[in-house]
Amino acid sequence: MFLEVQHIVKSFGDEKVVKDLNFSLSAKHTLSILGKSGCGKTTMLKTIGGLVPPDSGKILLNGEDITETKPEKRSIVYLYQEDLLFPHLNAFENIAFGLRLKKIPEGLIKEKVEHMLHSLELEGQADKMPTQLSGGQRQRVSFGRAISTNPSLLLLDEPFGSLDTGTRKRMQELFKKLTEEFDITSLFVTHDLKEAVLMGNQIGFMQDGVLKVYEDKKDFIQDPQTGVQSEIEFWGGLL
Amino acid sequence: MRIKKLNIGILLFVLVGVVPFAAAFIYALLYSFGIIGVANDGFTLQFWESVITSGTFFKSFGYSFLIALVAVAISVGGALWITLKFRQQLETRFMSFIIYLPLAVPGIVTGFFTFQLFSKGGFFARISHKLGFITEASQFPDLVNDGLAIGIIFSFLTMITPFFVLLFLNVYKNERVEELSILAQSLGANANQISRRVFLPILLKKTWVLIVLYFIFLLGAYEVPLILGQESPQMLSVLIIQEIKQYDLDKISEGYVVAVLYTLIVSVAAILLFLPKRKRAYAT
Repeated sequence: MFLEVQHIVKSFGDEKVVKDLNFSLSAKHTLSILGKSGCGKTTMLKTIGGLVPPDSGKILLNGEDITETKPEKRSIVYLYQEDLLFPHLNAFENIAFGLRLKKIPEGLIKEKVEHMLHSLELEGQADKMPTQLSGGQRQRVSFGRAISTNPSLLLLDEPFGSLDTGTRKRMQELFKKLTEEFDITSLFVTHDLKEAVLMGNQIGFMQDGVLKVYEDKKDFIQDPQTGVQSEIEFWGGLL
Repeated sequence: MRIKKLNIGILLFVLVGVVPFAAAFIYALLYSFGIIGVANDGFTLQFWESVITSGTFFKSFGYSFLIALVAVAISVGGALWITLKFRQQLETRFMSFIIYLPLAVPGIVTGFFTFQLFSKGGFFARISHKLGFITEASQFPDLVNDGLAIGIIFSFLTMITPFFVLLFLNVYKNERVEELSILAQSLGANANQISRRVFLPILLKKTWVLIVLYFIFLLGAYEVPLILGQESPQMLSVLIIQEIKQYDLDKISEGYVVAVLYTLIVSVAAILLFLPKRKRAYAT
């Protein structure tokens, strides 16, 4: 397996936020993780990204133990819920940020960023500052910045939570397209049922710090805990 | 209704902000050309010639410029370092109170304290004497009223560094530099790269206007250089007041020449600095 998370536990004070986290994920796959606010999703992502140290457990990426590896050395990019762009850089420079850290030649950076801007349908927006972009455009730049560094794993923390329905749908389609184009392996955290089903090859449900990963989507749909059944009943009742 | 309110606002701004300044400037300009003034009897370039050929103004301007530049550079650098290293400690209630405290101390008091601490008969000179480092007061180094303006720069630092610390802490919070730093780290940046590519550019880009304004404020500072400055060259404001208050009536007009020159240089510099970049500063 490409990503293996083994017995990860994380507490803040007396509160155990992540309890015995165990799952694995194949390369180029997306694991959608559904869960209510405060169930430990963000802490789980930050622990995998190295931004929060676990109390115990092990994280293996491509067979290598990265539990103690510094975040900047993990090749794992954590994406915030909001479209958090560097305010002093334009769209081009935001996408080029990670590439410049790797000291890639200028010509190659230009080529990669222009290709990314094209993939993100952001042609003509390269010189715009974050304040001159719409919410959807900012989120796309944010994606582009994360993907351009070619990370081994992408951690998405409710990435479309702040977008309106229409933009959210377009972003979901774009994300699907990008995961195929750039062979992305990702953990996609959301609290939207439909989005979880649409975005993931696998689905997990997190409750009170415990993550349950389902064998297939049918199991997920049939589990009354996930809320899918009550949704079906609700919409069926309207017909 | 809205247009009416806007017009009243503009009128008030002109009355309070522009008219007094313009009137004082015109008065100084007329005085400098000998058109008005007790001993003057008509238009002359004599006072301008005298000020420009003597070089006192330029020496004084250069001296003030250097002092203000050194004080601003050290205090901005120090405040950035303090913000970067001690941000969490500074957010406690006690520390935020401590950092606000120096802002409430008037410049004249700061100047007086500095004099008491660093003069040849001051606190540190006495301690040095007690400890046997010096045997008489004249052996204590010149730290006030000195050529290197150490006393003035020290006072300026104690006055403006807390202000910059508070400013940077505020921008750090508002611009979400903490989250951006985590994001940069996640993208592969080490601590040094985070400082150079995220922390410094964001904070400096958001505050450069205030930094420049503080530089201009220090350029024209009066009380501190009056107490801690040397005889010659003097900082600009001290020179202007000294000229204007002289018994030699010609010197009054020369004082106004210096004031006019100073106002013109600062105004032109401010226009050049702020106008072309105003749009960009607000766009970011």
